[in-house]
Amino acid sequence: MAIEIHTLPEHMPNDALRYVGKPVNRVEDPALVSGTVQFIDNLSLPGMLHCAILRSPHPHARIVSVDVSAALAAEGVVAVISGEDVKRWCVPGFTAPEGWGNYCMAVDKVRFVGEPVAAVAATSRYLAEDALELLHIEYETLTPVCNPEQAMAPDAPVVFEERGTNVMLHRDYTWGEVDRVFAEADHIISRRFRWNRVGANPTETFGCICQWDLADNSLTCHGAYQTPRFMAIGRAASLQLPANRVRIVTHPQGGGFGGKGGPRGTDIAALLSRKSNGRPVKYIEDRMEYLLAGGGQSWDRYYDAALAVKADGTVTGFRVHLVDDQGAGAEGYGTISAAKPLAAFTGNYRIEAASYDLTLVATNRAPTYPYRGYGPPPHNLVLESLMDCTARELGMDPAELRRQNFIRPEQFPYTVPSGNEYDSGNYEAVLDRVLEIADYPALRARQAAARAEGRLVGIGVVGTVEPGVFDWNAYATVGVPGVGVPEGVKVALDVFGNVSVAVGFSLQGQGQFTVAAQVVADYLGVDMAQVKISTASSDVALPHFGQGGSRLGVAVTGAILGACEKLNAMFCKVVAHVMQAPEESIVLRNGRLYRVDAPEHGMSLAEIAGLMLSRSDLLPPGVEPCPEATYVWTSPNRNAPDDQGRCRSYLTAANATHVALVEIDRDTGRTHILDYCIVDDCGTRLNPANVEGQLQGGVAQGVGAALYEEYVYNDECQPLVSTFVDYLMPTIHEVPMTRKDHIVTPSPVSPLGAKGCGEGAMHTTPATILCAINDALAPLGKEILETPASPHRLWKLLHEDQAASA
Amino acid sequence: MSSKQRIEVRVNGTRYVREVEARLTLADFLRHELSLGGTHVGCEHGICGACTVLINDQSARSCLTLAVQADDCDITTVENLRNPETGALHPIQQSFVDAHGLQCGFCTPGFMMTTLELLRENPDPSDEQIKEALGGNLCRCTGYQSIMDSVRLAAQRMKSSTLG
Repeated sequence: MAIEIHTLPEHMPNDALRYVGKPVNRVEDPALVSGTVQFIDNLSLPGMLHCAILRSPHPHARIVSVDVSAALAAEGVVAVISGEDVKRWCVPGFTAPEGWGNYCMAVDKVRFVGEPVAAVAATSRYLAEDALELLHIEYETLTPVCNPEQAMAPDAPVVFEERGTNVMLHRDYTWGEVDRVFAEADHIISRRFRWNRVGANPTETFGCICQWDLADNSLTCHGAYQTPRFMAIGRAASLQLPANRVRIVTHPQGGGFGGKGGPRGTDIAALLSRKSNGRPVKYIEDRMEYLLAGGGQSWDRYYDAALAVKADGTVTGFRVHLVDDQGAGAEGYGTISAAKPLAAFTGNYRIEAASYDLTLVATNRAPTYPYRGYGPPPHNLVLESLMDCTARELGMDPAELRRQNFIRPEQFPYTVPSGNEYDSGNYEAVLDRVLEIADYPALRARQAAARAEGRLVGIGVVGTVEPGVFDWNAYATVGVPGVGVPEGVKVALDVFGNVSVAVGFSLQGQGQFTVAAQVVADYLGVDMAQVKISTASSDVALPHFGQGGSRLGVAVTGAILGACEKLNAMFCKVVAHVMQAPEESIVLRNGRLYRVDAPEHGMSLAEIAGLMLSRSDLLPPGVEPCPEATYVWTSPNRNAPDDQGRCRSYLTAANATHVALVEIDRDTGRTHILDYCIVDDCGTRLNPANVEGQLQGGVAQGVGAALYEEYVYNDECQPLVSTFVDYLMPTIHEVPMTRKDHIVTPSPVSPLGAKGCGEGAMHTTPATILCAINDALAPLGKEILETPASPHRLWKLLHEDQAASA
Repeated sequence: MSSKQRIEVRVNGTRYVREVEARLTLADFLRHELSLGGTHVGCEHGICGACTVLINDQSARSCLTLAVQADDCDITTVENLRNPETGALHPIQQSFVDAHGLQCGFCTPGFMMTTLELLRENPDPSDEQIKEALGGNLCRCTGYQSIMDSVRLAAQRMKSSTLG
């Protein structure tokens, strides 16, 4: 039976939607503000031990010997593991590219500072950390590979000897007649960019409690897991367990942003449990561990890129050469984030041809992991900065140059050269609105006045497309084959008409439980207070992915609509049978099933559920006594990529344009954001307050990436960042209170017309701020093409002439 | 590390007498000895503010405070905000809910305890004073704008409830 998923809220069987599209309060919040939510460190299990991990002080060294005897004899210590145990019990955790990965703990040699070398389980965390000091590891240091240039040198030390090279992947994509458009261009605008490593840094670090059942040979892991099923499969592989013997119980998480990590800590805690005769072992990563080597470092990139431009400002070609420093491994899917830009390579523009030369390189930095945005934040910074360079060279207004190159509303659905199809949009309307709320002419006048006083004031006007609702096909050409990402729910009614929804994921902050409750309540016409959303553990949950890729709000909406459609059909059948009426004469509307020709004859949902559960004699043949339905949603109409990676990948294309006004303080190099405006279009806004929160949160992370945050390594590959004193997270003083508006172009292809909206602001903000900074610097003839444009970098740039002449 | 100290603390009005190791942090004491898990730990080095509690009505980082330092003190944690009998939320809690001042909610207890101190000392703070008060708390989700709205709303509600 084909299930039709409604693409507009008004298609739902309800004349007066009470929740969808409204900024309703979140069902998550009363418990969160009460402090009663069970984050993983709030859980204790009987007999539980605590894990502490000894980490490598060297970026690259051979392990000569490990002596655990003194630690084992220490107070409270129950078990110690080291590389030897890991080698005996595990295989390396591979992600992509295929064949690249690492054991959960160093075996034979260490490859980055912070790599686990041994771990202790003791009766308290304090005692476990005491015992770490009694572990004796002898190292023979090796020459570290500190950056891609060193890594690719002919005589370079090899980080993973078994691979024989430090080049993990090289791909050269060509889309359209790139050589021709560059040959025919009137201007070629090219620059080199450096995006330094940043990271997710959710306020809660990773944590888990693992218990290995030695009789059943099974493993249960409670923890802060973003993608439970995926984690279960990965643990089964690395710990060599049957996949149906790994159970992941995911807990509410104190943020994630892609960078929660978890595989290493989980495997280590699991092995300690195995070695402790099956006692549960808790591992709570601390912030220093997270900053040194946790699962959140992303995008360590060197770009060489160019635009081909005609004399009138028409941009015809975009060439990108990227070298991405992946650090020591490919364990966390950070690697393939460099492929995500294929989903929106040429941004908002009608650029006809593009190429992408992509090299992933292993070094002795910490391994990369995903972080919100997953690739486009640096890519968009490159594209949008080149657009601004073009505007300056051609003497055009940057907003008007963009407008001239926009994809037009009538061109949707629009296939970009890199293959993805944008579903809908109206970029010019977004631009017009943001220029209006920013009062762009007034901003330019303000800038002119400030410049006349010698002040460094600049404006950034940057628009991007946010590929929403990720699909594995986007990553098929870099090592993750697959089409489709299942997201399943079960919707069940009880005899009182209450609705229970089981999902495969837990809370992380985006408010998906609320969205799920809004959609199911409006479809079934019940009060939101009658709806309960719960997380199923991975062993019983339907196929699911969970948060990731600006997808879950749309995906869970699709799954709920599908399940409700099935319930609707089943209930109609039951009511028709009971009322001895034709099935097609029964409808669900406003929470009641009734005969269209005699609306007074009907049944409530509670009556139907009660009848189904307790009067089997009244059920029509073939209908089970089960007022429940499941549905597993995946994006419709996706396809496998061709050899150039081209396919319909991300389902939706939201877009936004940001306008920033900044001033650089000449004396300190600090950038002050004086005004910040956003207009976005993510189709139907299922919960406008949630959307606004996603936007503003993305702005904050974008401000961090553009101005402050950086994982600094010295030239011996030692990380210089290990606390929040070194890694500068934006506070309320740094993040602008933005002015926002939106337009709504519903997606014609997604559930209720909603588009993925979790990452767009992170895609746009760093580029907007850097463009504004370069606009401020333009009168000095200076440019900064490296992030973060931190105070010290800008100060050095501003004062380099004095330094040279001194 | 076995030498223990006897401490007496009053947490949310309840008196506790415990023997604790001198090195035990107040955060760990509250969370793991008293099972008051609403005080969260985000960095353990005093920067993020998630672990903020009130010690004798002054905000403090419970990760940088040792339990023994809290001997003979009155401690207030997020668990004390809600009405224990009716479950009704404190105006600060309700304002964070109504103004969408949280996403993951992990930093929120720290923000609310800081807000409680602010609004007790200054019932009608300006935006600049709110920023000054909250400048030591990190939130990775919200971008702070809805937190500003929440604190403004809480101030308004607490003022009118006092007047009423």
